[in-house]
Amino acid sequence: MCSDTANQETQSRCTLCPAGCELLIRGPGAGGYQSEPPMVPGAGLCPRGLAIGELLDAPGRIRWATRRLDGRRQEIHLAEAARAIVAAAGDRDVIFFIDGALPCEQILAADAWCRTWPKAKLCVVLEPAERELLLGTEASGAAYLSDADLAGCDGFLIVGDAFAANPACSRGVFDRRAADARVAIVVIDPGGGSASKFATCRVAAPPGAELAAIAELARAAGVDSPPIAPPDGMDVRSARSAGLALAGCKRPAIILAAEYGRGGAWRQIGYLAGKLACALGGGVACQTTGANALAAVRLGPRLAAISLADALARQDAAWVTVGSDLLGMLGIGGREILAAGAAFANRSTEAAEFVMPAAIAMELGGMYLLGGERQVCLDAVGPPPAGVLAPADIIGLIARAAGAQLPAPTPAVGTLSRLVVAAPSISAGCATAAAASPVLMLGRQAADAGCGELTAHASWQSTIGRPPTVRLAPADARRIGVKDLDMVEVRAGKLHVSARVRISHALDAGAVVLPEALCEARAMCPLQVSSAGGDVVASPGTVNIEAANDYASQTA
Amino acid sequence: MITQAKQPEIDKRVVIDVDRCVECQSCAAACFVGHARMPAVGFARAGWALLPLICRQCKAPACVDACPAEAMVRDEAGIVRRRLFRCVGCGSCAQACPFGVISDSLGGTPGTTKSPGDLSGHQISKCDLCADRLAADSNAVPRCVGACPSGALRFVDERQAEADGLLIIGGRSAADHLYKRR
Repeated sequence: MCSDTANQETQSRCTLCPAGCELLIRGPGAGGYQSEPPMVPGAGLCPRGLAIGELLDAPGRIRWATRRLDGRRQEIHLAEAARAIVAAAGDRDVIFFIDGALPCEQILAADAWCRTWPKAKLCVVLEPAERELLLGTEASGAAYLSDADLAGCDGFLIVGDAFAANPACSRGVFDRRAADARVAIVVIDPGGGSASKFATCRVAAPPGAELAAIAELARAAGVDSPPIAPPDGMDVRSARSAGLALAGCKRPAIILAAEYGRGGAWRQIGYLAGKLACALGGGVACQTTGANALAAVRLGPRLAAISLADALARQDAAWVTVGSDLLGMLGIGGREILAAGAAFANRSTEAAEFVMPAAIAMELGGMYLLGGERQVCLDAVGPPPAGVLAPADIIGLIARAAGAQLPAPTPAVGTLSRLVVAAPSISAGCATAAAASPVLMLGRQAADAGCGELTAHASWQSTIGRPPTVRLAPADARRIGVKDLDMVEVRAGKLHVSARVRISHALDAGAVVLPEALCEARAMCPLQVSSAGGDVVASPGTVNIEAANDYASQTA
Repeated sequence: MITQAKQPEIDKRVVIDVDRCVECQSCAAACFVGHARMPAVGFARAGWALLPLICRQCKAPACVDACPAEAMVRDEAGIVRRRLFRCVGCGSCAQACPFGVISDSLGGTPGTTKSPGDLSGHQISKCDLCADRLAADSNAVPRCVGACPSGALRFVDERQAEADGLLIIGGRSAADHLYKRR
C-alpha cells in the first residue's frame, strides 16, 4: 500500500452480508480511503467489503440536494427541497421506502417520524425472496448457525449459490471436509453457481423446483414432508440419494441463499429446510443481502409499516425512496418517484424529481444481527460527509416540513427475539418450474451486494463489471455458436443485455444466468405483486440469446 | 558457463489450495485496491475452475533477466519486485514469465495501467508479496491471503509445508536458470 494513504486506521466490520467480516479502513490520504483485509489469515474480506473504503469518499457520491428542472439537475437547499417535496406531494399519501439493511435504530427512527405524519407510510425494503425465506425459517423454529458453527456440522445442504452470497461461509464447510473427506455436501442450485463445484451430490432441479427437491430429499432422509409432485426436469433419484446421505448426519447445516427471480416459494423453502434441520438436529444459515435482513424482519411487528406488495399497489401515492434503489431492485421502469435519498446515483435517483444526499450504512453505527442471530452494536466507520443526512433524518426533514411534530424518543432496540409466524401452507401448487426455454435466472456474485447500486461505484467492480458475464450450458453455447469470452445479446422483449459468455458445466441446458446485481437483468424477470397475500414474486424470465458479431459489441 | 552468486531467498510463498477456491475473486480485488489499481493477481480458466494467477517468486526469475530497464529486481529480502520508476511498460517480463502471471491483462483486469497521477506512463504490475504489510508486522500476510474468505490462499514456509500435510505441486522456476538450458 502507498505510504501516503496510511495515515489513519479504523477497525470495523463489513455489513454487506451476515458474515460481518473484519476490515481496516485506511485514510484519508492522497489516495482517499481504502479497505484493507485483516493482517493475518483466517478471516477474509470479499470484494464487497473491499469496496467499502472507497465508497466513503468516492467521486460520484451525492453531496447536495438537487431537483430536476427542464431535464437538468439543479442544486437546492435541503430545507427548501423538503418543503418542495411536501408541496409536490399535495394531497397524496407519501410512502417512504427505507432500506432494510440499515441499522435497527434507523428503521425505528424512520417509523417514529412516519407515525407523527398521518399522510406518511413506511415500507421497509428487503429483497423479496429473502424476506419470504426468513419468514419461513422463523416459522420453522430452526436454530441459526454462524459461519464459525459450520465447521462443527457433519453434513451440508446448500440451496442457491451460498458461496457467492457469503464466501466466508465456505471456510467452515471446507474445514469440516478437511477433517472428514466423506462429509456430504448436497447442492440444489439450478443456476450452477460456485457451490455446485464442490458438491458430493448435486440435485438437478429446474428453476422453481427447489421446494420439490427439498421435499423429496427430506422424505428420503426419513423426515415427514408434504408430497409435492416433482416437476419435469427434476432428477428424483439424485434428490433421494442426497436425502440418504444426509439421513445419517447428527448435526447437518442447511445453507440458504434466495436469489432474485427464482420463483415464489421461498417462504415454504425456508420453512421446510428449517423443519428438516430441526428433525436432523442441525440448523440453518441464511445468506442474505445485507447483514440486517433478519433484524429488519424481526422488527416488523413493532413498526406501523406496510408491506412492499401493498406499497407497490398504491400507484396513487407519492413514492420517496430512502437508502434503497427500489426501481433497480425490482427492475421497474417508467415510474416517477417524487424523491430519492441515496449515496450514489441509481435507477431511483434517475427517476426522482428530487434527490437528497444520504449516508451509507457504514457511516451509521447501530444494532445488527450478525453471524446467525448474534446481536451486536457496531460503531460507525466515520461520520458521513458534511451535509449528508442519515436516512431517518431525511424522512424527519420532510415530515417536519409538512408540519409533523417531533416524535417521542425511540425506545432502545432491545432484544430482537424470534418472530411467531404461522407455518406456510405447502401444496403441490407451490412447485412451479419455469416451462419456456431458454430460462433466465439471476445468480449472485461475490463482487456486488444486492442490485449493485452501492458496490458498483467502487473501482474494481467498475473495472471488471463491464461487460457483464452470462453463464451458458455447453449445449446452449454450441447451439448458438459461441465459445468462452464471446459476446452475446440476451433479449427479452424490448430489453437486452450485451454480455460475455462463460460456459458453465454445472448448468443444465436451457438455463441462462446473468448477475443478480444487474438492474437490466432484473427487469427481464417478470414481477408479480399479490396484494392479498402480501407477496412480491419475481419469476425466471424467457429470453433469446444470439451471438453479437459486430465490432462495437465485441469491444463493449 | 553461467555462474550465479547466492541470492537471498524468501521463507514463505503464496500457495493455492485448489479444492477451496470459490471463485469469489477477493484476492484480485484486494490486490487491485491495495496496489493503487495496479493489480498483480489475475484469473484464468482451468476446466470448471477459475483460479487465481499469482507470482511464484521464482528462484531463477526470468522476468528479472528479461527486463531491459533493470526495473525487475530481487531485493535484499529475496522478493522479486518491480521498481516503479524504472519500469517502462515494455512487457518483456510478461513475455519471459513461464507461468503467465505477469501480463498486461490478467484475467480481464488491466495489469498494465497508468499510475493514478499519470506521471510515469504505463507500467507492468508485479506482485511484491505486499512488502509494506510484511514490514509492518512479522505475522502479516499479503493482501490476497488476508482477503481469501475460504482459506484457499495460504502464505506458507515450504519447509514446513509437508509437516502441515500440504503437498505443493508446481515449481518456482522452469529450471534453475531459464537460459542455461539453451
